[in-house]
Amino acid sequence: MQFKYSKPKTIEELSMLKSNYNAKLLAGGTDLMVKLRAKSCKPEIIIDTKGLGKNEIKFENEKVIIPLNTTYSDLLKNKKFKEKFPMLVDIIKKIGSPQIRNRATPIGNICNASPAGDFLLATYLYHGYAYIKPTNKKIKISQLIDGPGKIKLKPEEFIYSIELKERIGYEYYYEKVGKRNAMNISIISLGIVLKKKQNIIEEIKIAYGSVGPTIIRFEDLEKSVIGKEITRDLFDWLGEQYTKRINPITDVRATAEYRKKMVKNLLIKAFYNLNKTFQEG
Amino acid sequence: MKIRFKLNNKDIEYDVEEYKRALDFLRDDMRMTSVKEGCGEGECGACTIILNGKNVNSCMILAVELDGQEVWTLEGLNEIGDTSIQESYIEKGAIQCGFCTPGFIMSTKVLLDNNPDPDDNEIKEALEGNLCRCTGYTKIIEAVKLASTKLAEKNTTVADKRGEKNAV
Ligand SMILES: Cc1cc2nc3c(=O)[nH]c(=O)nc-3n(C[C@H](O)[C@H](O)[C@H](O)COP(=O)(O)OP(=O)(O)OC[C@H]3O[C@@H](n4cnc5c(N)ncnc54)[C@H](O)[C@@H]3O)c2cc1C
Ligand code: FES
Ligand code: FES
Repeated sequence: MQFKYSKPKTIEELSMLKSNYNAKLLAGGTDLMVKLRAKSCKPEIIIDTKGLGKNEIKFENEKVIIPLNTTYSDLLKNKKFKEKFPMLVDIIKKIGSPQIRNRATPIGNICNASPAGDFLLATYLYHGYAYIKPTNKKIKISQLIDGPGKIKLKPEEFIYSIELKERIGYEYYYEKVGKRNAMNISIISLGIVLKKKQNIIEEIKIAYGSVGPTIIRFEDLEKSVIGKEITRDLFDWLGEQYTKRINPITDVRATAEYRKKMVKNLLIKAFYNLNKTFQEG
Repeated sequence: MKIRFKLNNKDIEYDVEEYKRALDFLRDDMRMTSVKEGCGEGECGACTIILNGKNVNSCMILAVELDGQEVWTLEGLNEIGDTSIQESYIEKGAIQCGFCTPGFIMSTKVLLDNNPDPDDNEIKEALEGNLCRCTGYTKIIEAVKLASTKLAEKNTTVADKRGEKNAV
């Protein structure tokens, strides 16, 4: 690998470099360094976003704003974040290792646009938006993702911060199936946030990772179960629907058949887990 | 590109290739050979260094990113006589081939600096990013516990001495 390195201090400078060269941004580098080594990307220039510094994590109107260069470790150290986003804390603790979390950033995870991205999946459940500079746009993260490794940004654009909405009064379930806990990427993952009254679904959001080119969510299916009672039958039915629609691939980590079976099985596991917390509380 | 940083408490200025990994720079240019390359992909932790008080994989970092930062390697801990962890690993037999050991010691150092008396679970979580193919992890956990006791004893003796001084 041979490239130049630059660490601009302003948004304008960064944006100019990014649009004028075959450039790659570098935040924590935990995805980029692997790709550079595998020569799956060959930039002329690496632009270190850390020159722009690191703003504080902010909380306003039931939302959190996570700025550029904020690492997973920064989030795990933040008391308010831990209080308000327990599911995200659980997810983050399963990303990589301490060494990875000390460098890697949620924004890097989003921009890497991997269908296995754990934080990316969470943004689909938490109404995630990205603030983009220098154009000052605010775009829903799910709408930015354009396939594996592909993100819809103009040459001069980059993500400056992201915003997630608190899920007050929701229960959650997250599971990732992988070869080894805490390391490497998943074979399949499932995240659910659920709001219910008595045993009736008021709102539910379901997102799968690693079973398609991007994170998969079907809002029509989610809507179709609102107002219904939470039963094993309902989750069986839902599982069938997702199995029909999802067409995973075979790769080095697992076969398509295995993944397809897991689409339904994980949902049933989710039913028992969510119901357990309901019965207890 | 010229970089300035602190390596094991010494000021360094060096002209380094922009595409060089911190791992290669530390080993080849700085001769810090305690820093090992296992996987080169962030999985094994053999290349762990301490960067601004945090353990990180030097194979995932460019040398130029060290500019303005503070780095510690095992060599530095030896120089300042901070060897309790190393001794504990030896005493407990937590070393066989030794390839993984510098990385484990650096992660242990960060753990004990932040949490002087960790329980089993906290130790396991803190060392999750370091792999060992020889020892099995039981002895390593024992070594971390021994190091924790040694450091506590050291601190109380220091505190006692201070107390004596004050009393005089
Ligand atoms: C050992 C190991 C284990 C891992 N485990 C997991 C895991 O369990 N789950 C998981 O999801 N991931 C995992 N990862 C992948 C990786 O750590 C995460 O995706 C991480 O969040 C990436 O963040 P980063 O800051 O390091 O990204 P970088 O590598 O710095 O950047 C990633 C990509 O985003 C682009 N980019 C960065 N910042 C911006 C920006 N502001 N605007 C536009 N583009 C930008 C970069 O150019 C690059 O293409 C693992 C990686 C390793 C090496
Ligand atoms: S060599 Fe860096 S983590 Fe394995
Ligand atoms: S002692 Fe050989 S790898 Fe750990």
